[in-house]
Amino acid sequence: MDLHRIVERGLKKAEMLGGSEAEIFIVRELSTSILGTRKGLENIECGESTTVSIRLAIGKRTTLQTSVLSGEEHIDRIVEDAIKVARVAPEDRDWVSLPKSLGKTPVYDIVDDRVREPDLEMFIELIKRGLEGSREIDRRVYTSEAKLSLSHFVRVIGNTNYSPIESEKTMFSYVVMIKAAENGEETGYHNYYIAPTLNEFRLDKVVEDAVRIALASLKAKPIETGKYQVLLTPRVFSSILSSLIVPAVRADMVIKNRSPLKNKLYSEVLSEKLTIIDDGAAPNMPSSSEFDDEGIATSRKTLIDRGVLVSYLYDTYTANIDGRASTGNARRTSSMVYPDATNVIVLPGAQSLDSLTRDVRRGVIVYGTIGEWLSNPVSGYLNATVTNGVYIENGEERHAIKGIVVSGNIYEVLGRELVTVTKEYENVGSMMVPSAFVERISVAGK
Amino acid sequence: MSIDIYFGRKIVDSVLEKGVEDTIVRLQERVYELIIFDNGVLRSYNISRSSGVGVRVFINGSTGYGYTSSLDWDSISTAARRAVKSAKSLSRHGVSKKMLSYEGSKCVYSAPIKLNPMDVDSERKVSLIKELNLASIKKEGIVSAVTRYGYEMDRKIIVTSYGSEVDIDVRAVGISHTAIAKSGDIMERVHEQKTFIGGFEHIDSFDWFKFTEEIDGLALKASQAKTPPPGIYTAVIDNTLIGLLLHEAFGHAAEGDIVASGASVLRGKIDESIASTKVTIVDDGLAEGGYPVPYDEEGVEKNKTVVVNEGVLKRFLNSRYTAIELNQDLTGNARAQDTNFDTIVRQTNLYMLPGESRVDELFEGISIGFYLLGKGAMGGQVDPSVGTFTFSVGPSYIVRNGEPSELVRGTVVSGNILETLREVDLVAKDLKITTSVFGGCGKGGQMVRVGTGGPHIRVKRIVVGGI
Repeated sequence: MDLHRIVERGLKKAEMLGGSEAEIFIVRELSTSILGTRKGLENIECGESTTVSIRLAIGKRTTLQTSVLSGEEHIDRIVEDAIKVARVAPEDRDWVSLPKSLGKTPVYDIVDDRVREPDLEMFIELIKRGLEGSREIDRRVYTSEAKLSLSHFVRVIGNTNYSPIESEKTMFSYVVMIKAAENGEETGYHNYYIAPTLNEFRLDKVVEDAVRIALASLKAKPIETGKYQVLLTPRVFSSILSSLIVPAVRADMVIKNRSPLKNKLYSEVLSEKLTIIDDGAAPNMPSSSEFDDEGIATSRKTLIDRGVLVSYLYDTYTANIDGRASTGNARRTSSMVYPDATNVIVLPGAQSLDSLTRDVRRGVIVYGTIGEWLSNPVSGYLNATVTNGVYIENGEERHAIKGIVVSGNIYEVLGRELVTVTKEYENVGSMMVPSAFVERISVAGK
Repeated sequence: MSIDIYFGRKIVDSVLEKGVEDTIVRLQERVYELIIFDNGVLRSYNISRSSGVGVRVFINGSTGYGYTSSLDWDSISTAARRAVKSAKSLSRHGVSKKMLSYEGSKCVYSAPIKLNPMDVDSERKVSLIKELNLASIKKEGIVSAVTRYGYEMDRKIIVTSYGSEVDIDVRAVGISHTAIAKSGDIMERVHEQKTFIGGFEHIDSFDWFKFTEEIDGLALKASQAKTPPPGIYTAVIDNTLIGLLLHEAFGHAAEGDIVASGASVLRGKIDESIASTKVTIVDDGLAEGGYPVPYDEEGVEKNKTVVVNEGVLKRFLNSRYTAIELNQDLTGNARAQDTNFDTIVRQTNLYMLPGESRVDELFEGISIGFYLLGKGAMGGQVDPSVGTFTFSVGPSYIVRNGEPSELVRGTVVSGNILETLREVDLVAKDLKITTSVFGGCGKGGQMVRVGTGGPHIRVKRIVVGGI
């Protein structure tokens, strides 16, 4: 299927049927996944699918429709559905227009030929190593599951104001689940790596880290309820940032009064130790691309500068409401376009993780949590259950912890309670973050 | 291009020419229409269409799966080629699986439909949902309401080298409503949906205003209710809640892939007594009120599988792969969300068979206990490897002297599913099974429609807590 031709055909059809503006976004994804379990190699799945999303306006009546494309002529039917729905949609007073021009930012390291045209043998070997490698490190552990996925995306977008543009990207992900068993007790930890290329992928490190944390989680005990010093490792810190800070800097949430950061531009909202950047064009990061999901060139922008809020994230719709320009942060789901973070980068600090650990008088290192999604970005209230963590007293690791919940107001936790962030940092999905050392967090234990 | 058996057979024949031992070809066409009104405003109106072809091949003990969303012959050939290449690659690495053979059969199944929802004027659908939503938010005490209309047409064709030729067309339509009521500082949310297998005739003939009014009323009452006194109680569990508990805490543990991987509390317990003799649990592809699954996606007929018979564990739910691994029969439980996924073992309509008691008999003799209800349940967490569950149930009643008395909110039940099933002392005769066009089971990142339910049951001891 010629994606450009489908975009042009759909736009023409939309105009012919009475659409005043239309935008067509097509993504073709070719993907391969390989699964291995404790029993060995299991399966390989490989295929392609083409998804089309159309945004259409009749005056101020707008709609967004998404479908899977079975052939070129299928676009006509999707446009007809969109016209039918737009006619019964209520007028949106805030609607101005689709983007008036489209563009691209050059981005390095987002296409890897090894992922685009995979050599299955090489990737099967990676799964086998993931299955076998853990046992070689420690006899108490085994890999219960190893899975890798390879995807190649071609994205084409055009609208009735501008000719179609195209970009391509690859994505590699590797997930490993490690179980540790001793004296009838079993613990587990899953580790993952995701990036457009294999350039920085080190399988041994992914497995070793998972083995270390799974073992450290054995013989876990509850701790007393109280206030503790807490070291949030990059994985946990990034998860808290995505649950509580990212939603609060989205312009749509601010406009709908669903952000505690409304009317806080240029005020100090977090600790001066924190500088947070959103970069849609960072090399070899998962959310990098040449343009966002409505064809606006991606960019790097500072959101929090030494604790001071300096920008929200905008797409064209919210930028029009606030009289600003889009920041290139449009994200598209099957039913809406909204501004969202791309890659989030937290600038590292000066102290090492080891030296900070030695400074802990009574605290916990948190390696893994679940249930952060129960946190409330509207109020800024953090709530997470610790699945993997270690209790520390006077700089020494005492024992693993279980069954505890950490909670508090995130603007206090990452405000006056934040001691510092470490100089070491990690890539965790679309985030590049250090560890965060917090002086006091409420811990509900026994 | 539309899909049919002939097209599927043509693909099977061409795949067999590539030297594979057996193959399963799946074709699918799906239309999903969703209208959402949020506090009086149309938040979303989506019509999503998708189609695709999936090819699974088996060569020298290895499987490979290829798929495409394009229905042209070149794309399908490429998908088949990729499946073959994948299986051969695994085979070179010594993978040696076995798949249970079966005798294929032919089936055309089409759920009855009188009025195709896609032929109904959009404005009519929008205005019904809008009216229901507005009526809700106008009520005093209701602070927020979301009302949804959903319709799904799912047509699946499965053709296999074992001779199965299966053509299934299921239409489902329904409305869901979420009401949030506030009383003082207490906010209470109640969500409920009603789905029919069939067409728009069900929307026309059902009293939806009464349906949403009941949800609003329950949310209002619950927001004024207290939380329950925690403790261990005798409880009557309604049809909806027993269905949810069985699906999550028991059904997943009975899935062959979970059993084979060693992660099920039921492993090694076949022919053992695991529940009260009052308990018989089945997985039934064609249960009234449930979601029709006459055949699975390996082309195997889905009969009524008796998983537990009078308290004794008899069988797991299997695919061709797990049936061999566990040395059991095929049960027709290999399912997939769509052609972008290969199959995994899934439940269809898993429920407890009804008993002989009247519902009111279940309350007799309870001096203090609970009537636990599923409407408005928020879900929970389970660990199938040990059988533990924690569930946030819907607004429920304290039972005093054999009668449901005051309503309580924020009720949580927890325990071990096998211990709970052993505590079942009465089972009512009122079987009720439901399904949903808005959701289902999300195992392995794949959403499939299921049916859940059962009769009212009484459990002698269950842990009840409050949040």
